[in-house]
Amino acid sequence: MRKSYLAVTLLILASFILASCAQATPAPAANKLEDVKNRGILIVSSDPAYPPQSELVEDATRAADTKCSSDQQTADELRGFDIDVSKEIAKRMGVEVCFVTPDWTLITAGNWADRWDISVGSMTVTPERMENLYFSQPYYTTPAAFFVHVDNTSFSQPSDLSGMKVGACTGCTYDAFLAGTLQIPGETMNYVVKDAQFTGYETDLNALQDLTLGDGVRLDGVLTAEPTGQGTIADGLPLKQLGDPVFFEYLAAAFDKNSTLDPIPLAQEVSRILAEMHADGTMEKLSQQYYGLDLTSAAGEFDLTQLKQW
Amino acid sequence: MAVDTMRSFGPPGPDPDISMGQKLMELERRARLIHALQVAVVWVVLFMILGLALMLLNFDPQYVRDHFGFVLQGLWVTIQLALISITFATILALLGALGRLSTSSIAQGVSGFYISLFRGTPLLIQIYLIYLGLPQIGRQFQELGMQQLGQLFTLTAFQSGVLALSLNYGAYMTEIFRAGIQSISYGQREAASAIGMNRMQIMRRVILPQAVRIIIPDIGNQFIAMQKDTALVSVMGIWELTFRANRLARQESKFMEMFVTAALLYWILTVVSSWLESRLERRLAHAYER
Repeated sequence: MRKSYLAVTLLILASFILASCAQATPAPAANKLEDVKNRGILIVSSDPAYPPQSELVEDATRAADTKCSSDQQTADELRGFDIDVSKEIAKRMGVEVCFVTPDWTLITAGNWADRWDISVGSMTVTPERMENLYFSQPYYTTPAAFFVHVDNTSFSQPSDLSGMKVGACTGCTYDAFLAGTLQIPGETMNYVVKDAQFTGYETDLNALQDLTLGDGVRLDGVLTAEPTGQGTIADGLPLKQLGDPVFFEYLAAAFDKNSTLDPIPLAQEVSRILAEMHADGTMEKLSQQYYGLDLTSAAGEFDLTQLKQW
Repeated sequence: MAVDTMRSFGPPGPDPDISMGQKLMELERRARLIHALQVAVVWVVLFMILGLALMLLNFDPQYVRDHFGFVLQGLWVTIQLALISITFATILALLGALGRLSTSSIAQGVSGFYISLFRGTPLLIQIYLIYLGLPQIGRQFQELGMQQLGQLFTLTAFQSGVLALSLNYGAYMTEIFRAGIQSISYGQREAASAIGMNRMQIMRRVILPQAVRIIIPDIGNQFIAMQKDTALVSVMGIWELTFRANRLARQESKFMEMFVTAALLYWILTVVSSWLESRLERRLAHAYER
């Protein structure tokens, strides 16, 4: 009887293992770019938690002839600025785009284990991230700005928040800015807010949500992307922007340095496509569509070679 | 007088003792009914208070109506995750308990270590380690030329979730199984071995069938806990209840609306499963009914 238990256990384990075997990679390719072209799909990671960059589409239907696997999302199931940029990259590479939606932490950690090829997720180029990731030509820039409750009258400029309770996402660039450690290639930082009592949140939106409880209840201010903050104001949150943006981030596509196949040719090809999109006005059109202003020209002029990645 | 004691042998008539007993039972039944009604009233009142609290929130019911269907689609993924994981966890727990109770030092050591490791670390960390860490071990095998073996370490998000949930709950449930097995009196073992059963037969034919009845309520309890812990696998981008609710909430900053919707769905799910569990429990108790 013991044997039959063991047999059943082994059988279940074997089926589990076989299920993962079925997704083994096809014919070997020399590098990631070739691999993507052989497969005919570009797997993009994008967490649909950040509208208007990326959000999910509720009534979407999967295309019948899709090459995306069942745990990947097809082109129509997500929408947003990042999503449109991803679709355009895939289109110009002549492949289908598929999306996976892991948490932001898992994307920035690197070591993607070849589960996806590229992150098109408005990721800021920072020296820390460059340890694990390669970056493409930036595709746009995001202004970072402070937001306070509408009832507040005591602050008139960002530096007034020095020593106050300021919230932001944990482990992101805003966290580093408040800590005075943020470095962005091609930009000199001016850390206007000093010694803030920092509160970290899973994402910016949670911080903004906490700020709506009232002026100074849990937070005095939040540092986040200007479009994100303005977006929540448009949704009816009782907030207002405090002064001008304090810095600009260059946002780029990213690639895993530790992927099995060499990712550099793919990174170069995507950079070439992004530069092309800057040059022919596609990028500016998308920026106007989603943000109502051109956030892309500085990104188009960014000199990628200064990062000395390859 | 002797004639009095002969009364019960006469023709059957109304027996004062029996009718009094029936009256007492009737009274007791009514008292139970009133009690149940009172409990129901308390529930209704609490429901109303909860509803009132929800109305005090900055709440937009129309948003819930519009997006309920999309969140609901995640329920099936949640159920799948929980069902598959509880199956594996039960198998692991049985093996773990047998290991803990075995006389072999290796089996005892392995199961003790397993329980300690997986009960002693947070489930969320285990999920991250399995999803991020296992492929890196696989890479080492691949570099040694074992392509297929290395590939096995790269689990999909769903598989990673099932593995983490199974390992974590298996560790907790090992103790439940152990307690259940030990609760069967030692005399039964002795009796079984006296009629010539070996240790495996005793376990399978005598101990486990009785232990399962004792264990079932606890497994049900773990199953309910697990249904809610499946929310943690949303970090790997599995489109289950929490992921869908959370991402929709962010679209228009409707956090309360979507979190309440998800909470309600989890609640309904657990109510249904605890009802199913109580039915199963009653079935298994048949043999013990008088």
